Amino acid sequence: MQLVGIEMLNIFGGSAYLDVDQLASHRGLDKTRFDNLLMKEKSVALPYEDPVSLGVNAAKPIIDVLSDNEKDRIEMLITCTESSFDFGKSMSSYMHDYLKLNRNCRLFEIKSACYSGTTGLQMGINFVLSQVSPGAKALVIATDISRFLVAEGGGVLSEGWSFAEPSSGAGAAAMLVSDRPHIFQVDVGANGYYGFEVMDTCRPVADSEAGDSDLSLLSYLDCLEQSFSEYQKRVPGANYLESFSYLAFHTPFGGMIKGAHRTMMRKMLKAKADVVEADFEERVFPGLIYCQRVGNIMGATTALSLASTIENAVFDTPKRIGCFSYGSGCCSEFFSGVVTIEGQERMQRFGISNKLKQRYQLSMDEYDALIEESTNVRFGTRTVKLDTEFIGGARKSSNMPRLFLKEIKEYHRLYEWV
Amino acid sequence: MEKGNIFLVVKDVISEVLPDVDSETVTIDKNLKSLGANSIDRTEIVMLSMERLGLKLPLVSFGGVENIEEMIDVLVNNT
Repeated sequence: MQLVGIEMLNIFGGSAYLDVDQLASHRGLDKTRFDNLLMKEKSVALPYEDPVSLGVNAAKPIIDVLSDNEKDRIEMLITCTESSFDFGKSMSSYMHDYLKLNRNCRLFEIKSACYSGTTGLQMGINFVLSQVSPGAKALVIATDISRFLVAEGGGVLSEGWSFAEPSSGAGAAAMLVSDRPHIFQVDVGANGYYGFEVMDTCRPVADSEAGDSDLSLLSYLDCLEQSFSEYQKRVPGANYLESFSYLAFHTPFGGMIKGAHRTMMRKMLKAKADVVEADFEERVFPGLIYCQRVGNIMGATTALSLASTIENAVFDTPKRIGCFSYGSGCCSEFFSGVVTIEGQERMQRFGISNKLKQRYQLSMDEYDALIEESTNVRFGTRTVKLDTEFIGGARKSSNMPRLFLKEIKEYHRLYEWV
Repeated sequence: MEKGNIFLVVKDVISEVLPDVDSETVTIDKNLKSLGANSIDRTEIVMLSMERLGLKLPLVSFGGVENIEEMIDVLVNNT
């Protein structure tokens, strides 16, 4: 059978972060039972960071270890996002340029809320499986930011703002998909997908979000059960407990996946509370570690949870990971793949955890100033030069070369390596 | 099942999910948020109530529900 999956996977969790507990206090949010939402930190996009710079910073370490020949076999660059700054031009074109890829390459962008990264991954997998260009690779970059510009008026938007702000992060995941699945060997055909029309959360205006968090949670849970049931139909004998050593969930916030996992354990296995708790710690928690530090990075979150699982779980023998992706609106998918100790070692070379540690911690005053400053790069900005002195500490916090937005000139974005 | 009986089932579930809430204060017009339930707790209350009543409805049927009575109405309409 044709091998396919993720050859390399890297995460870029931004340059600055905020303590979520401080934010909740600062905003005066109701903190009753806040702890069981399991939120810790979230990455925040600086005004000179955008989905392109984040995506390039996630992909660059992958590109740097490829030989010229291997690099030239990247024949698709798929950007997966809900944060684009142009309705027509694909952000893949910018990334293709800054990553210096072969021009015989398909460049396009996918939108499907938080399901976009999985959509891109599946498209890459199918491209490799089709064998229309044997040996070709697809570079899938899921990248999202949330800018919380102060919305005028009240109602739905303000409400959306208050629930989404503590959980929404900024970051990107880059996945090189090929016939050499060193990191994650996909179980071909083991996919349960499920979608329907629902108005849960959305981005009906530029630079902000709106929605109903309760409805989104309910829809997420319906989709988890239904997509897993479909997976079971296609993989006879699949069992929620025994088939997967680990589970990587799209993680809007930790408490949500804890609730989702509990529901599945109860529905599928009639498990008691203590069994559910122990199973969460063993099979789900490794995937939560990075998610608790970066926050919800929308289209990239499932990959973030997968990366966290691969780096933090135990792979003394090859282990199967079950992955669940959900995007509002909605569409969802349950799929799986196998990870080995060699894959874990390869992933660890990117030093994701250290890079997260090197991020700059924002004070609340800096965060408030950042929201104000971000109005300079709101959707539709025609011309602006970014202030490189603004929260300058964040630009110096890492020894890794990073791409930052330098200028917007007649809508054209210009970046610089720092 | 009658609305009153369903309320008793729901009330029991609320005490289980929110052990700190005095059950005397749980009246049908109350909003679960005002009892201190976060979004996870609210979903848990809906799911456990369905389980006790032997119902299997899509969870999104409960979207837009504002208080305990509206949640019970969804349950009543499907028993």
